[in-house]
Amino acid sequence: MIVMLALAAVLLVRNLYNISVLPDETNQGQIFRIIFFHVPAAAVAMVGSAVALLASVMFLITKNFKYDALAVAITEVGLAFLAVNLVTGSIWARVIWGVWWAWDPRLTSALICWILYAGYLILRQSLEEPTQRATFAAVYSIFAFTDVPIVYFSIRWWRTIHPQPVFFSKNGSFPADWTLTLVLNIVALSLLYAVLTMVRLRQENTQREIDYLRRTVHAIS
Amino acid sequence: MITPIVGFLLQTNDDPIREEIGRLQRNFQGLIWGFVAAWAILLVYILMLTMRERKLRREMERLKSMIEEPEKN
Repeated sequence: MIVMLALAAVLLVRNLYNISVLPDETNQGQIFRIIFFHVPAAAVAMVGSAVALLASVMFLITKNFKYDALAVAITEVGLAFLAVNLVTGSIWARVIWGVWWAWDPRLTSALICWILYAGYLILRQSLEEPTQRATFAAVYSIFAFTDVPIVYFSIRWWRTIHPQPVFFSKNGSFPADWTLTLVLNIVALSLLYAVLTMVRLRQENTQREIDYLRRTVHAIS
Repeated sequence: MITPIVGFLLQTNDDPIREEIGRLQRNFQGLIWGFVAAWAILLVYILMLTMRERKLRREMERLKSMIEEPEKN
């Protein structure tokens, strides 16, 4: 875990230097550099939601609580990264579009995605019984994931003011060396995501141990 | 007679430059705020994780001591 964290830190410092020495983008100027955090934050959050979906399905099949713990850990960390994506996007929009927010399909579906996953955590808080909580949460997580493809494809399906994809696409105009920096930032944030998920997962296991101890205390007294 | 005209011309010539300087400043400030916001969100989340970790440890120790005490008695 410490090695992963150190690697993430080294990559992030290296990438920050690389981003700072890049030339300004012709139309947007300096603000375009925000893309190096805006896009990786969304990418890792989306991968996280896919893992949460798999973990939820696995829980419903096996009823093994380790999958439930993984789902909650990865969803919670993903929510923080999705918040980074939304907030950096809003600041970027203020500079380029002149507004903090637009009810555009991409922005709106991303906000709905954040609200859905926040709802997942609220749902878990509201249920006491562990098996019922894990089952309801798994079903809800599968439902929440349906918004993720909508977020991804919204800029292709509908006319939006959000830019079309510029990486790995035929119409893309992102230079190769900029793409490398972006990919390395995705790697760095992925490592950070993994470390935070591991910490959260450990907390979830500790919580289960505490629940067990509480039952023991009740049995003794 | 000429001075106000020159003043007016200088003013009109200055405006696009000032506008461009203003745009560049807003652009740079936006970038800084974007980075600050991104790291602030992650930092707040890490702080929340740290606080939860402490709370869980305290709770664990409390419960363990409650179980151990009756056993000693």
